[in-house]
Amino acid sequence: MSTEALRPPPSRPLSPRRGAWMRPLVGGGLWPAVPAVAYLLVFMVLPIGTLLLFGFVTIERGRIVGDSFTLEPMLRALSDPLVWRLMWRSFWVAAASTVLCLLLAYPVAFAYGSLRGVWRTLLLVAIVSPLLTSALVRTYAWLVILGGRRGILNQSLIWLGVIDEPLRILNTDWAVLIGMTQIHLPFMILPLLAVLSERDRRLEEASLNLGASRTATFFKVIVPMSIPAIFAGLALVFAVSYTNFIIPQLLGGGNYSTLAVQVYEQTIVVLDWTRGAVLATLLLSTCFLFVLAIVSLGSRLSRWNEVRR
Amino acid sequence: MSHLVIDNVSKSFGELPVLRGCSLSVEKGSVLTLLGPSGCGKTTLLRTIAGFITPDAGRIVVQGNDISDMPPNRREVGYVFQNYALFPHLTIAANVAYGLKVRRTSRAEVARRVEDALRLVDLSTFADRYPAQLSGGQQQRVAIARSLVLEPSVLLLDEPFNALDARLRLTMQIELRKLIQRVGITSIFVTHDQMEAMTLSDTVAVMHKGVVEQFGSPLDIYDRPRTAYVANFIGRANVIPGEVANGHFDDPARIATQAPAGPAVLVVRPENVTVEPATAGDAAPGWPGTVTFTTALGPTVEYEIDCGWPEPLRAIAPRSPGRPQAGPGDRVVARIADPAAAVVLRRQDGAHVH
Repeated sequence: MSTEALRPPPSRPLSPRRGAWMRPLVGGGLWPAVPAVAYLLVFMVLPIGTLLLFGFVTIERGRIVGDSFTLEPMLRALSDPLVWRLMWRSFWVAAASTVLCLLLAYPVAFAYGSLRGVWRTLLLVAIVSPLLTSALVRTYAWLVILGGRRGILNQSLIWLGVIDEPLRILNTDWAVLIGMTQIHLPFMILPLLAVLSERDRRLEEASLNLGASRTATFFKVIVPMSIPAIFAGLALVFAVSYTNFIIPQLLGGGNYSTLAVQVYEQTIVVLDWTRGAVLATLLLSTCFLFVLAIVSLGSRLSRWNEVRR
Repeated sequence: MSHLVIDNVSKSFGELPVLRGCSLSVEKGSVLTLLGPSGCGKTTLLRTIAGFITPDAGRIVVQGNDISDMPPNRREVGYVFQNYALFPHLTIAANVAYGLKVRRTSRAEVARRVEDALRLVDLSTFADRYPAQLSGGQQQRVAIARSLVLEPSVLLLDEPFNALDARLRLTMQIELRKLIQRVGITSIFVTHDQMEAMTLSDTVAVMHKGVVEQFGSPLDIYDRPRTAYVANFIGRANVIPGEVANGHFDDPARIATQAPAGPAVLVVRPENVTVEPATAGDAAPGWPGTVTFTTALGPTVEYEIDCGWPEPLRAIAPRSPGRPQAGPGDRVVARIADPAAAVVLRRQDGAHVH
């Protein structure tokens, strides 16, 4: 057999029509992502785009009136103090529950790193299991726990003698905060878990060896090393908290509203699609800005992570 | 009293004994190497000195102070990790400053001492880089500077050259030895590489299965190994089984020994074995055998000779051009050049003997 036979067949030269922009696609690089991208385009970007468009056109009898592009509904919403109040509440409730999530999640993720064997598995199951039930069901569960005089929480506290009169938690900001924090906690724990359990323990030994106490080591080595995971969790939890309308609706009560709740009410109950679309535009764009702010702060604080030789 | 004393330290992980009554001492400013194969307990002993592991029994004494119960962050004992364990989120200067900052040293003094430490390891221009931007050898120097800047009383180094390629390893060994001499710091290395141990240390402790088998200067251990294990671990050795009777070992010639009567082994270094062609009528005692393999290394020739034992006899002889040398298949007689340099050891039951 000649050596010619062993050679691979000459590859077909790229046709000149395939421009430079195609390069990452040629040879498999980005091809595997095509189905997912196509799916998102057709079933997410397109419908959301259509929906948002409703805020900038005139709708009569369920039909878009041609050539009726208008900024008027948007300007009206922006000059409405109620909209700003709703947005502020959406923001601070989401921000507060996100911070609460971080404070609760970090010790859990940290403890997971020091557990071994069956205990580790049990903790992981405990962390993930809430995700197996629907968020709606869990919200109703909080309704039962926090609800009025007969709620589990008040009954237990009265029985224990901690309080005489039932606490009014349901239908307040507290109920929304408690529910949101519990329901979104796994989204904060999981990214932290991955980083904290795989961390390099020798760095902690090195810190101790250099004279730092365990507390100093935690704040000067362990926390800074987990900043990418912290900010991934913050962005994730903030986004889902800021846009959630079920939890504020159910636990905040009938008079409690946020921007996301209003989007739902205007679109589904009031059937004012224009206003619903305008508020949805505001909700999505502000959410995007906040998440962008979180992510860019995170990468500023972990610039070392991008350094490569 | 010695600068650092390890007194009868024992440690078990569960049922598994890792250190069994280890005792050592290091003089101020000298370099000790813990040498042994992986799993012999050498790293455990080093980590015990640093305080990462609490011994089950025994004491560790530095400058007369028992530090056995002291937490690792109070010990003033520098530790250079095998993979350096530099903080990836801090610059080189901040890595070196770390220990000074946790001690609340004034800003001006931190700056001055960090600069001095980086100059010492010749890395001043890298102060603002991150560890990921440095080569392995440079990272090692940062790790050393990070420890030395705190002026510890002892410097511990866990296989510091393992992560470096062979060429760089040799350079760094010599550089590190010079650095340690210049600073004058008492140091303990851990290694499984006997050449490294010989290059670096004033004293060597050969460890095996959690026990210090022999403790002494490198040449002392080379010349007078106390066990067959040590003989084989430091340099190469022919270990020949036999008997001691009436104060001498009789194979191939009479060698006087202090060893008690009974089963024994003779330890002969390859360079102490001469090889001559077998000639009829040669009555002088020796080991007859057949050359099976030769390796010419320029100045020397190495022979492997089959003398009918499970392991071939190894000999290293000087080579001179023009003089014919024995080749594979040749009948030869091997003899001990200097009987005084051969060592007779009592054969331990179960000991691995070639």
